[in-house]
Amino acid sequence: MNKWPGLFKLATMPRSSIQRSCSRPIPGIASRPLIPVQHRSMATSTSKSNSKDNVSAGLYTAALLFGMLGLSYAAVPLYRLFCASTGYSGTVQTDRSKFAPDRLVPQAHAPRRIRVTFESNTSDALPWSFKPELRELFVVPGETALTFYKAKSKAKDDVVGIATYNVTPYRAGAYFNKIQCFCFEEQRLSPGEDVDMPVFFFIDPDFLDDPYMKDVTTITLGYTLFNANKAPHLAPVAPSQPAAMPSS
Amino acid sequence: MGFGRPSNTESTSGSPPLLGSFPLDHEGECKEFMKTYMQCLRDNKNNNGACRELSKAYLQCRMDKGLMDKDDMSNLGYADIMKPAKN
Repeated sequence: MNKWPGLFKLATMPRSSIQRSCSRPIPGIASRPLIPVQHRSMATSTSKSNSKDNVSAGLYTAALLFGMLGLSYAAVPLYRLFCASTGYSGTVQTDRSKFAPDRLVPQAHAPRRIRVTFESNTSDALPWSFKPELRELFVVPGETALTFYKAKSKAKDDVVGIATYNVTPYRAGAYFNKIQCFCFEEQRLSPGEDVDMPVFFFIDPDFLDDPYMKDVTTITLGYTLFNANKAPHLAPVAPSQPAAMPSS
Repeated sequence: MGFGRPSNTESTSGSPPLLGSFPLDHEGECKEFMKTYMQCLRDNKNNNGACRELSKAYLQCRMDKGLMDKDDMSNLGYADIMKPAKN
């Protein structure tokens, strides 16, 4: 019941909830929240605290933004470190222990020989004919094997080619180790020259212990030759004399 | 890049070879060794185990002619067919 109608602006709350919100009803005084007396100062302080809240929220957002930006820059070297140490997703592990002599032992307990087939592709911009000398080779894990690709230049002048390779099935790629081949470095052929390009490789003995490799009977090595002249930032290496060999 | 695949699946391959690249045999100095090796493989139904002596001979030719870094054959996986006298 409203005993002081002019003095207080009553909150339009249902009486039952008002009574619940008061801890102890004081007899004789309307048990209603006392909003009006402090109404104006609360309004000012509300707007002040609102703007303070806004500023702090803005600062938090800005901090978050710069934090995320910094993280995305830091992610590049961090990810590189992570990949190099764990070899995740095919990162090159420059680990010479993979090629230690005790790993290059033909595994006599292998159930069967693995068939390695060879494919070749040439870019249209490269006027060479490029074919594998051998279509397939049967090897045992740990046994080093040698195969050849034949390339013949049909151009009128010197052409520099560069090769990349891939191994299928992808999951077997981790076990396919090349000791020496002709990929990733520029190879120069004079007009009409034909040359044999060897590939010396082996399949890691751990291949036999991997359950995912149980059904792998054929591994395909594919080489693709590109024209290095079309890549302007590549400079062809000087023609190698027999005495001067590139060492890597 | 595939997400959710087991980590043993390679998404990219193309790691460089251990000893780098073979210099091209422009003069065909070791062509004879290559021909003998190829013939052996054709006779043996492309079985690598049968022709390892000849592939070793080819690599030896390359080393002799300066087309390959000299290395001990046992480091190249031929320890099992090295003659006992060489050890």
